[in-house]
Amino acid sequence: MDNSQKRILMAKTGLDGHWRGPTIVARALRDAGFEVIMIGMASTDDIVSAAVDEDVDLVGLNVGGHIDVAIRAIEQVQVARPGLPIFAGGTIPPHAAKQLEALGVEVYPPGSQLVDIVDAAERLTGTR
Amino acid sequence: MGISAHNNHEKVFSMSQKPTDKSRTCTSGIELKPYYTSADIPEHHRPNVDVAPGEAQFHRGFHASGYRSKPWRIFQLSGFGKPEDENERIKFLLKNGETGFIMEHDRNTADHCYNVTHPDVIARREDVGLTGAVMQSVRDTAICMDGLPVDTSFGHAGGAVVQHAPFALAAYWTVAKQRGFDLATISGTGQSDFNLTYLGCVTKEQIPTEAGLRFNADIIEFCEQYLPRWVPVSIAGYNAADTGLTPDQELGVLFANAVEYLDEIQRRGNMPLVQAARGCGGVSFRASINIIEEACKMRAARLMWSQLLVERYNISDPKVRNLRIHCVTAGSKMTYQQPLNNIVRGTVMALGAILGGVQSLGVSGYDEALSIPSEHAHQMSVRIQQILQEETGIADVTDPLGGSFYVETLTAQLVEKAWAFFEAIQLQGGYLAALDSGWLHAQAADNQYQEFMHTESGEQKIIGVNCFRDDESPFEVDGFMGTDDAFDVATERLNEVLRSRHEAGAAAALKQLAADCRSDKNIMPAMMDALAAEVTLGEIGDVYREVFGNWNTPIQT
Repeated sequence: MDNSQKRILMAKTGLDGHWRGPTIVARALRDAGFEVIMIGMASTDDIVSAAVDEDVDLVGLNVGGHIDVAIRAIEQVQVARPGLPIFAGGTIPPHAAKQLEALGVEVYPPGSQLVDIVDAAERLTGTR
Repeated sequence: MGISAHNNHEKVFSMSQKPTDKSRTCTSGIELKPYYTSADIPEHHRPNVDVAPGEAQFHRGFHASGYRSKPWRIFQLSGFGKPEDENERIKFLLKNGETGFIMEHDRNTADHCYNVTHPDVIARREDVGLTGAVMQSVRDTAICMDGLPVDTSFGHAGGAVVQHAPFALAAYWTVAKQRGFDLATISGTGQSDFNLTYLGCVTKEQIPTEAGLRFNADIIEFCEQYLPRWVPVSIAGYNAADTGLTPDQELGVLFANAVEYLDEIQRRGNMPLVQAARGCGGVSFRASINIIEEACKMRAARLMWSQLLVERYNISDPKVRNLRIHCVTAGSKMTYQQPLNNIVRGTVMALGAILGGVQSLGVSGYDEALSIPSEHAHQMSVRIQQILQEETGIADVTDPLGGSFYVETLTAQLVEKAWAFFEAIQLQGGYLAALDSGWLHAQAADNQYQEFMHTESGEQKIIGVNCFRDDESPFEVDGFMGTDDAFDVATERLNEVLRSRHEAGAAAALKQLAADCRSDKNIMPAMMDALAAEVTLGEIGDVYREVFGNWNTPIQT
């Protein structure tokens, strides 16, 4: 299947405005053909409604703050769109990465290769 | 033809030497030669080479006696949790040998000028206090500053983000006054950092750049009148660089920023320009890992500031033309993988800054890619600086790289390339226009992507990340998460302030601040009155949002 038929929602769970990480990831995903919808700093409610309204195939969360904020967003997305895959990147320390992985979220911390992130997007959206 | 073992060894040796034949460039894209001779130093730079540090064009350093008479200031970014948590960490750093202190404010509340009762903050309540203490009123600031040596040390009041700076400064100064200090005698700095606010770390809501420029000019004029020893605003390249601009571009954008402030002060005509230039002559850079280039960058900065003041503003006073530099090692160079390697990276980047002759330095924590610094990471950052200062002899001779054919050549080349970027910004309509249009963001984004591609291809090796990934460390480094009661305590304290302050006085002070924001008066006197009347951060933010509206962010994050 063609990546261009797949839509990825990207959002920041915190109110920290550093944009370097998510924009690089978005660029790599777009270069690979995906349609990327970026909603920036978004509350849990914003993330859930965008995941539903935009009929996305994957959610990417940039986590720059406390892990509990991300967990709240993930759990509510999982209620609203059961089975929708989610992956996360950002300043996520090892103990927090384990918490996210326990919820079925794939974690790409700093130092991850873009090629691995694109691979994950293809695998999680079923184009590969 | 048979190849003997000896010949085979030679073949391997010559192959491993091959990459040196390939062209090499520094981060700024300047092609590097395998070695340099005196003939490489550009003709126009030669008269600069053989002067003493502290003499025009000042590129050799701030003062002839350098670190012998004044060691660089050990100045670490610090803060988390409740104001008392931050106070405790600052005292820990001072006890460990820090020679100034920085008060970091909570990003959620401070950067956006929200109180903790704002819906966007409540939605992220666990985030509150993660990256700095919550200070919503002068009472909170008083707790954070309790017992700190405001009179004898050099304090950073916080206020990194432009719209937050007037509040953070006024809070610090109000507490200093309450503690009996004369504002005319205290020294320290604010930040009011345009490259952080509008380029590197774009908040959800922020006053437009025009209003931001006015705030900074207000602060510069207020300090000239009441706080002559205070560095009013810090013109800073760090966030431009850590967002992707190369060292030459970092220099160009920093001076494009400086020119915007100085031109505005000149246009307003309320104070002598030379005084404004003196106030603006304390700048801040990132010190990254290509250390000779970074040392050259600091030297280039001093030369450029001197040129700028003479050529554009006709300021000849050598004291004013002599730039002072604070520096922070590059956070983005610290890796998540094998974090103890970052102790080496921090040391090396610090060395580059010191070889460049900076006056003040912060070293990022070895856990930078995981979280804010743990107490131990913070202590290591101080220890790195102390070892360099006390054990290595690096502080004995000023500008130890001066006269090197390579260093003088690269310094001159960086100056040239940086002025070209400065001119490119002017062609965009100036620095504010280049921020408003997103032109600078596009430059940074392209560089970031290139940098990533170089790492991805393995062309740029990052030890522990894209090569040498085995980690035998017996020490497990995990993220430091601060305290978990910052939101609840901040909510209680906010309610207490609102309940117990003199309400009519607070309302009147807020009304006056709003009126001054709408006029062309300096907002700082009304801000000082508002803080003294215990007006809170979020109430002031509401005034800004009503009067100035929000910056139309040129990037989608």
